Amino acid sequence: MRQDKGKIGIKEYFAIISLTVGAKLSDDTPAIIYENAKNAGWLAALLIGILSFFPIILLIKVYSAHKGKNLHEILLHLFGRFFGTLLSICLLIGGTIAVIADSGTYVDIIGSMYFTKTPAIILYIILMVICAYGAKRGIEQIGAVSWLLLPYIKITLFIALIFTFKKGTLGYLFPFWGEGPLEVAKASVKNVSIFVDFFYLALIMPLISSYKDMKKGTLISLVFITVELSLALVAYVVLFDYTTAEMLNYPFHETIRFIQIGFLANVETLFFPFWLVATLIRFSFYLYLIATLLGGILKIKEFEYLIPLIATIILLIGLSPDAPSITLYTVREKILGLLSPAFMILPPFMWIVAKIRGDFKNETSL
Amino acid sequence: MKLRSKMMKVIFLTAVTLSLSGCWDHKELDEKAYVIGIGLDKHKIEGKVKVTYLIANPEVGSQQTAGGANEPPQEIVTLVADDFISSRNTANTIVAKEISYDLLRVLIVSEELARDPDFIRIIYSATKDREIKRSAQFIVSRENAADFIKNNKPKIETRPHKFLELMIERGQETGMIPEADLNGFFRVTESDADLYLAIYATTEKIEKDEAQTTDDDLLAGEIQVEGTTNNAQFIGSAVFKEGQMIGRITGEETRISSLLDNTWATEDILTAIKDPFDERYKLSIRISQKRENKYKLIPEKGRPTIEIDVPLFIEVYSDPSMINYAKNREKVKELKKSLTAAIEKNFTEFVSYTQQELKGDTFDLSIPMRKEFATLREFREFDWMKTYPDAKVKVNVSIRFGEFGRQSKLPKLEEVRD
Repeated sequence: MRQDKGKIGIKEYFAIISLTVGAKLSDDTPAIIYENAKNAGWLAALLIGILSFFPIILLIKVYSAHKGKNLHEILLHLFGRFFGTLLSICLLIGGTIAVIADSGTYVDIIGSMYFTKTPAIILYIILMVICAYGAKRGIEQIGAVSWLLLPYIKITLFIALIFTFKKGTLGYLFPFWGEGPLEVAKASVKNVSIFVDFFYLALIMPLISSYKDMKKGTLISLVFITVELSLALVAYVVLFDYTTAEMLNYPFHETIRFIQIGFLANVETLFFPFWLVATLIRFSFYLYLIATLLGGILKIKEFEYLIPLIATIILLIGLSPDAPSITLYTVREKILGLLSPAFMILPPFMWIVAKIRGDFKNETSL
Repeated sequence: MKLRSKMMKVIFLTAVTLSLSGCWDHKELDEKAYVIGIGLDKHKIEGKVKVTYLIANPEVGSQQTAGGANEPPQEIVTLVADDFISSRNTANTIVAKEISYDLLRVLIVSEELARDPDFIRIIYSATKDREIKRSAQFIVSRENAADFIKNNKPKIETRPHKFLELMIERGQETGMIPEADLNGFFRVTESDADLYLAIYATTEKIEKDEAQTTDDDLLAGEIQVEGTTNNAQFIGSAVFKEGQMIGRITGEETRISSLLDNTWATEDILTAIKDPFDERYKLSIRISQKRENKYKLIPEKGRPTIEIDVPLFIEVYSDPSMINYAKNREKVKELKKSLTAAIEKNFTEFVSYTQQELKGDTFDLSIPMRKEFATLREFREFDWMKTYPDAKVKVNVSIRFGEFGRQSKLPKLEEVRD
């Protein structure tokens, strides 16, 4: 790891998570949640946060016995060379498909909402080139940029939310339980993998300055993101009512086109650049994660050189679907459905194996 | 190291900035024709619409009117098209610049088209277009939209975007016209529980009996104006049910709807009401709402009861019967009593009108009612649109008085005439 001389602190770690996972409120994730949970989408988001707490805490527990190893190395240690590699490959494929679908969605957002005449391929190339460059700079730089830009991105988002609440009607949130408590629970269980990023975060856990910072950072960002996502879901319903919010492809972008700030009518031009920067950081980080995992599997020390290759593959596959906004939506929905059980089951499974193997013997905390 | 990280930031930010400019979507301001309003009319061939563009001239009214000093402030183009998306290119056979909906403020639909069951198919194009915003206002014109746009010639506010913006904003403040954006139209149509109100306007004059009931119990076109002013009138609402226009309500009824609706705040309602102390005259009052309405649903077998408590803040601005309220607390009490009764009667009459004629409520009543249900399924089974016409609606008005005009005392009539 040539370029990662230093490690990142809790600030950078928190910034990375809140930008990468937090950005999900601005794509079609809300639409996926609303589909089942309707106007109680915000409840579903809170429930997702609570549900994902368990696998995350178990993952941290497992890591505590293997400090200094990343996810791939822990898997190898726990399941042996063959099964460990197999699991890693599955994770790699799942992660790559998710990134392909996500990046395709983001290109579709930019193409359909803002730059309508620019060909998608150009947008995709620009996105991937910038992100590959960002990823190649290494985690330290991604962390620094995230921390640097975090306040601007979150403050503009906060402003957008305030004006949304001002314009909206709180009555739209009722009936309180949406389609019913059971439906809300179903929506959460199905889509709990919205937070699957936390599982992949185990790939960079050894790069955080201390174990304590890592644990604190993960939990703080989990709470922060859950609240943020939930607030955003409330905001969209309050502004559009659930029947309409459910029909919108990208509620966040409809929101910033709809709201007015005083006499300023076209405020999306104010929010769009910040959102774009968050997007670039997000995909830089994803490319970095995939490269780390692939480097681990192929035993390549200087895995940064894999990044351009991965970016190219993502670009080529991401461009292929016909009618991207429809195809990618279904693909994303399917991936979420597939990753959810994996996210819920894998960490407990890892913990049980670690327990059986007696990895926790030296630990006093357990 | 420090220099390198600085360099990196500079390069990163430059790359971001460069990618933002977007060469393909780059367009100079003077290369675009900004459409402020779109008018939609029925065409005799089925499936076609007449589209009218109200295009603003950005050079008029700005400080540097070097080239466009003698140009008119607006340009109007009417053409037949399949919808208002593809009509953009057709319009380019006449207009030199690229047609842009970026600054679209109003959508004007003729009453004839709005009453057509197929209207909903046309209007939903607005959700597909990338430039049309959901905040655009929705106007229904009594005559053809093309005529409305053509005859609407404001004398002082000649720039069309400014005129429409001010006209609508002020009308909404006084409650004469409803708050009617496209988002509301789609929301109400999709949730299918209430009726939607669009702004009703016209440039045609309609003769009506001079002995009108009140100044605001009128529809667009019925107000008798003289002088050298614009002949467009914005008053009243067009009522939409399930995406189709089914009727219209007057300015007064629109104001009642706004008072019964918590989501819709009107600040400045000036109206006249019969003077309880002298049949011949009317009292001018200013109504506002300082507190929110309270709604209660009492479910009963078959026929639920709805109770609406409407707190009003009233300032009495005239005293034609020369009562001198400042010196007469008894009379104030009496006034309060009679006003409460009169307003309650007005409200109740309007509610029963919506129940019998419109068969739905025009004041988003389903929104506060949703609190009474735990799940959406229960709410759907209740079927608000079907239940409302048979519901027992009770409106309770409670009045708080504000000031009685700038000068509350008046001379005694008998002493003046002495």
